[in-house]
Amino acid sequence: MRSVGDSSSPSPKMALLLASGTAERLLTASTLVSGAAALGYEVTIFASYWGLDALRTSGSEVHPPVEPGHGEASQRLEQTLRDRKVPTWRTILRTAKALGNVKVFACSQSMEVLGLRRADLDPLVDEVLGITSFVDRTRGAEATYFV
Amino acid sequence: MTDPVASPSAGGAPQPPHRLVDARGAWCPGPLMELIGAIQQEDAGAEIEVLSSDQGSRQDIPLWVRKAGHDLVKVEEGSEFDRYLVRKTH
Repeated sequence: MRSVGDSSSPSPKMALLLASGTAERLLTASTLVSGAAALGYEVTIFASYWGLDALRTSGSEVHPPVEPGHGEASQRLEQTLRDRKVPTWRTILRTAKALGNVKVFACSQSMEVLGLRRADLDPLVDEVLGITSFVDRTRGAEATYFV
Repeated sequence: MTDPVASPSAGGAPQPPHRLVDARGAWCPGPLMELIGAIQQEDAGAEIEVLSSDQGSRQDIPLWVRKAGHDLVKVEEGSEFDRYLVRKTH
């Protein structure tokens, strides 16, 4: 998608460090990424720990569990996500990648700790990176989010 | 989901191609993403009509259309859903 900003200036950048693996946080993250992609941002996602674990090849088309700390409300939310056929966070992320400039990088440290190989990860992941490369790529980002 | 629909065939000037994007029931960011996808597939001059029941669309769709440089021809707010008519300009 062409940038929707001023075509003479470079695309604004957005950085997202994604470390959480619960449905409501991942949906928040993928929705945020969609908005940025729609406005022509160059979005860089660095997936670590549970955020990376949520990108395993298996289970790609179901919602991950909701954060359980809200008792019955957590169960109701899980039920609603299923009953209302809310798109999964990965579906939303896939759409954002198709429409805009969104890259997903896997944290190399988390890969080691979680015992993951590249083949274990969803094709949404572009590359395995160290944190220094993430910091370098997102230099000058207008916004950096941690989810 | 998006369906191409036939242009109205009433007399007068030729009508631009018209495409309906029925995003009712889709939550943010679904309706805007469906609009962007439809815009990408159509030629300049085409009109895309989006139906959305997402309240966020009331701000997000006009914002995106303005920033992307297309025309927001018409907005009709309804009690159940809203109707946005967008013309692709480039």
